[in-house]
Amino acid sequence: MNRIRKTALSAVLAAGASFGLAAPMQAEEIKFGLLQDFTAVYTFVTGEYNQGQRDYLTLINEEGGVEGHTFTAIVRDTGNQPQRGIEAYNRAKEEGAILFDFLSTPVSAAILDQANADQRVVITPAHGRGDASDGTVFPYIFPAMATYWAQAANLIDHIKQHDGGLDGKKIAIVHIDSPFGREPLPILDELAGQEGFEYRAFPYASPGNEQSAAWSEVRRYRPDHVLIWGAGGGQAVSVRTAIQNGIAPEQIYSVIWLAETDAANVGPQMTGVKRFEASASGTDHPIIQRIQEKVIEPGKGAGDAANVGTSYYNLGVATMAISVEAARLALEDGGPLTGETLKAGFERVADYDAEGLMPAVTFSEQDHQGGGAGRVSQWDGSAWVPVSDWHAAFPEIVRAEIEESAAHYGSGN
Amino acid sequence: MFYRLSGTYHTTYESDRKLWKIPADRWQVIAVLVLAVAAPFLVSPLYLGSYVLPWVIWSAAALSLTLLMGMAGQLHFGFAAVMAIGAYSSIHLVRFGVPFEIALILSGLIAAGIGTVFGAAALRVKGLYLVMATLAMQYLVDWVVVNVPAISGGAHATLRTPAVSFLFVDVSSLASRYWLALGWAVLLTLFFLNVKRTSFGRALVAIRDKDFAAAVIGVDPFRTKMMAFFTSSFMGGVTGAILAYCYYRAVTPEQFGFDVSIQLVAMVLVGGLGSVIGSYLGAGFVLLAPIFLTNFIAGMAGAGWIPVSQNFLSHLPLIIYGAMIIGFLLFEPLGLAKIYDNIRKYFLVWPFRHAKS
Amino acid sequence: MAYFLELLINGALTGLMYSLAALGFVLIYKSAGVPNLAQGAVVMTAAYVVWIMVSSGVPLWIAIPAGMAVMFAFGLVVERLLLRRMVGQPVIMVVMLTLGLEILLRGLVPGLLGSTPRSLDLGIGFAPVILGDVFINRTYLVGGTIALLLVGASLLFFRTRIGTKLRAVSDDHVSSWAVGISVERAIGISWGLAGVTAVVAGVLWGSAQGVDWTLSMLLFPAVAVVILGGIDSIPGVLVGGILVGVLGSVIPGYLDSYVGGGTRDVVTSLIILLTIMVRPYGIFGREDIERI
Repeated sequence: MNRIRKTALSAVLAAGASFGLAAPMQAEEIKFGLLQDFTAVYTFVTGEYNQGQRDYLTLINEEGGVEGHTFTAIVRDTGNQPQRGIEAYNRAKEEGAILFDFLSTPVSAAILDQANADQRVVITPAHGRGDASDGTVFPYIFPAMATYWAQAANLIDHIKQHDGGLDGKKIAIVHIDSPFGREPLPILDELAGQEGFEYRAFPYASPGNEQSAAWSEVRRYRPDHVLIWGAGGGQAVSVRTAIQNGIAPEQIYSVIWLAETDAANVGPQMTGVKRFEASASGTDHPIIQRIQEKVIEPGKGAGDAANVGTSYYNLGVATMAISVEAARLALEDGGPLTGETLKAGFERVADYDAEGLMPAVTFSEQDHQGGGAGRVSQWDGSAWVPVSDWHAAFPEIVRAEIEESAAHYGSGN
Repeated sequence: MFYRLSGTYHTTYESDRKLWKIPADRWQVIAVLVLAVAAPFLVSPLYLGSYVLPWVIWSAAALSLTLLMGMAGQLHFGFAAVMAIGAYSSIHLVRFGVPFEIALILSGLIAAGIGTVFGAAALRVKGLYLVMATLAMQYLVDWVVVNVPAISGGAHATLRTPAVSFLFVDVSSLASRYWLALGWAVLLTLFFLNVKRTSFGRALVAIRDKDFAAAVIGVDPFRTKMMAFFTSSFMGGVTGAILAYCYYRAVTPEQFGFDVSIQLVAMVLVGGLGSVIGSYLGAGFVLLAPIFLTNFIAGMAGAGWIPVSQNFLSHLPLIIYGAMIIGFLLFEPLGLAKIYDNIRKYFLVWPFRHAKS
Repeated sequence: MAYFLELLINGALTGLMYSLAALGFVLIYKSAGVPNLAQGAVVMTAAYVVWIMVSSGVPLWIAIPAGMAVMFAFGLVVERLLLRRMVGQPVIMVVMLTLGLEILLRGLVPGLLGSTPRSLDLGIGFAPVILGDVFINRTYLVGGTIALLLVGASLLFFRTRIGTKLRAVSDDHVSSWAVGISVERAIGISWGLAGVTAVVAGVLWGSAQGVDWTLSMLLFPAVAVVILGGIDSIPGVLVGGILVGVLGSVIPGYLDSYVGGGTRDVVTSLIILLTIMVRPYGIFGREDIERI
C-alpha cells in the first residue's frame, strides 16, 4: 500500500518536473509569453483577447510561419499577482520566450526594469505605463497601441470635430478611483487650456458596481459630453446610470474598455454610445476571414468560435499581428531572433496596418507607441460602427506628456 | 534512524532548556542553514529569484504575523497594510537621504506606530470583531496609498526602490538581495525561538489562552496586547521594506492589497499557528502551490491530457488552492507543522514505535 | 436640497440592496455563530445559477424559484460537508474555512460558466422615477422594496414554529438539545435560507451590474451593514443597511470631486472601525457577556 502510494507520488512529481521544464527547444520555434490575468481583475477582457492572440499565431503557423519559423504561445494565468507574474516571466524566459504580454498593470510594473535588463520585449497594449512609449527611457517596452493619453486626446478631438469647436463646452469625466482612472486627467488639463473647454472629474469607488452618487452630481454639472473611464462590470453600470440620469447615449464617450459584452449587459438602450477603438471589430476583415477559414473551421481555434470578431478578440489579433510583423522584419535582417533583434525589428515596423484591421503604426527608437492613432466608433444596437477615420489626435501634446513622465521615471520614479 | 534516540532524556535543566534539545535536530537546522546560505551557488537564478527568494521573505512575513496570531491570539486581517507602510516609508526615507540600515529600522518603527493605533481596537474586542477592524484598516491604508500621489509615486502609482548598500555591501545583485532577505529571516527566526522563553513570550501565551485569567495572575492585558501589536508590526514593517528592496524593487499598491493579507493569514494557518517551522512550510505552500499547480496543469494541457477550455484551465489552480485550504482546515487543523511533527516523532523512536517520545 | 434628497434616497435604496447580501450573513451567524465570509461568493454563485437557467431559455419567473431551490440545497450541503466538522474549532479556523470556500467558488463558478460579465435582464427598465429634480434609480427602487419585503418576511418567519426553533438555537445550543430541538437541522435550515436570500441579492445586483465574479465583492459593504446593525439582528440589517447606504452616498456625493477619489470605501471602513470602537455589538446586536 505504502509503496504503491510512494510510486504514484513520485510518478506525479516526475511528471510535474518534466512538464515544468518543457519539451526540448526546437530551433525553428519563436516563443511568445502570454502570461495574463485570467482569474482576477482583467477577466472581462483576457478570455477573448488571449483567444485572438493564439488564433492569429495558429493562422501564421498554418500559413507556413515566417520564413519557416513557427510561433508558440506560452499561456499562463498570473491572477494579477506580481509574484506569480515574476515567476511566470522568469520561467518563460528560461524556456526561450522573447516577447511578453502580461495584460496586467501591476505585473507589468514589477517586470519593467527586469525586462529592460534582460533585453526581452514586453508589449503593453492598452495597459501599463503610457510613458513607456518613450523608447529612449524604456528600450524594450512597447505600448504598441494608443496609450490612455492618446485615447483621451482622440475622444476630445472627436468631440471637437463633431461640435465644431470646444470653446465653452463642459465635459465631465467619470472615472474609476485608481491610477488607471486618473491617467487621462493631465491630458485633459492640457487640452482644456488649449481648446478653451471646461472639465471636471467625478471619481467613483472601485469596482464601480454602484455609482449613483457620482452621477447625481454629474447631472447637476450639466455637461455637454461625458467621458467614462473604467473597465469591466463598472462600465455597464456607468452607461446605465448615465442614461438613468438623463444623459443621452450620444453624449457618452468611453475609453477602449467597452465592448459587445457590456452592450449585451446594458441592453438596447446603449445604442448611440461611442468609444475609442484601436482595432476594428467584426469579422469583415481579411485576417479575421482567414482565421475563420484556416483556424476556426478546421477546429483549431483556441476557444468559443462565437467570440471571433468581438472587439477584444480583434484587439488580441492586432497585437500579435504587430509582433509577428516585427519578428518577420527581424528575421529579414538575418541572424538569430533574440530579444535584441526583435526590438530592432519592432523599430523597423513602418506603416503596418494588418490589412486594415488597425491604424497604420510606425515605430522608431524614440516612439514605441507607434503613432498613437485610433478612431471613435458608435454602438448601433448590434455592432460598433466607426464614426471617424484612423488618426492620431494632438500628437505633440501626447508626446510632451510621454516625455515629461518618462523623464520623471528616468530620474528615479 | 536519524535521531538515534528512543525518547528524550535530559539529566540537567541546562540541556532541557536548549533550543534544539536533540543533536539530530541541531544538525538538521545547521544543514538547512548551510544549504540556504549556499543557495545562490546551488540553484539557478530562475529558482533563486522566483522561488527561494520570495519564499524566504514571505516566511519572514508569516513569522511576524504568527507572533501576533499564533502566540498572542490577536487576529489580524490587514497585515499586508502594515507591510505596505514599512515598504513605502523605507523608500521615502532612503530618498530623503537616510542611510538604508537606519531607514529599515525607522520604517519598522513607523509601521509599528500605525499598526499599534489600529491594534487599539484589540483592547475592546477580539475574535471576529478584531478581524473586521483590521480589515477596515487594510482598506483605509490602501485608500491613502492610492489617493496620495506623494506616497504612491505619482500618476502611475509605481515607486522604484533606489540603489542602496547594506553595511557597505551593494544590494543589487540577486545573490546579495537574497542574502539580505535570508539574514532578516534568520534574525526573526532566532527572535521567535527565544521569545517563547522570555516573560514577554509567556505573557503573550497567557493572553492568548484567556485574557481575563491572565489579568488575574498579574499580566497586564493592555500593555501586553499593545506590545504584541507593536512587535509584530515592527517585524512586518521591516519585512515589507525587505520585500520592496530585495524582491519587487518597484512598489505598487496592488502588491499589498487585501488578497495579500488573506494569503498571509492562510500561510500562518496552513503552516500551523504559532509555529516557526510552520511559518516556513505555510509560506512555501501558499506561495508556491498556485505556481506549481499553474505550471503542472499547463503542462498537462499542453500534452493534451485535460481537454477543457482555457478559461477553466486558468481557474483550475484557484479551485484546487481553495480546496486545499478547506482540506487542511478539515483534516489537519494544526497545519503543516503538525504533519512535520508527526513525521519527526515517528522517526524519533524508530524502530520502536510504541516507545513514548 | 434636491441634490441632498437624491443622494439620501438613492443611498438608502442601495443600502437596502446591501442588506440583501447581509441578510444571509446574519441568518447564519444568528443560528450557528459562524461568520460566513463566503456570503459574497454565495451571492455570485446564485446569480450565475439563475443566469445559466435564463440563458438556456427558462423564463425568469421559473428560474428564480428554481434557483432558490438549488441554492437552498447548496446551503444545506455546505453546512453538512464543511461547517459541521468545524464545530468547536476556534473562530479563526471557521473564518479561514469560509474564505477557502470563497476562493473555491470564485474559481469554480466563473471557471465553468465563463468569466466575462453576463447580462441578466429583469425588465425593470431604465427610466428613473422623477420627483421634481430628484431622480430615483428604478432598479434600486425595486431592489430596495424587495429587500424591505424580504427582511419583513424573515421577521415574520422567526415567529413561525420553525422560526421559534431557530431562535432557541441561536440562544443556546445545549439547552435546545435538551428540549428536543435538532440543532443540526436548524443550522442547516439557516444555511439554506441564506442561500435563498443570496438568490434575491444575486439577481438584483446581477441585473444592476452584470453577472461576474465581482459580485463576491459585495461582502465588504455587507460586513459593514452587519457590524453596524448588530451581527445577530434582523432589524439591524435593515437599519444598518440604510445607514451604510446613506452615509456611503451622501458623504462621497459632497466630498469625492473635491478629494479626487472615491471616498465610499473610506466611509465604509470608518463605519466598521467606529462601530467596533464605540459599540462593538452594533445598534441592535446582543451584548456578549464573557465569563472566565
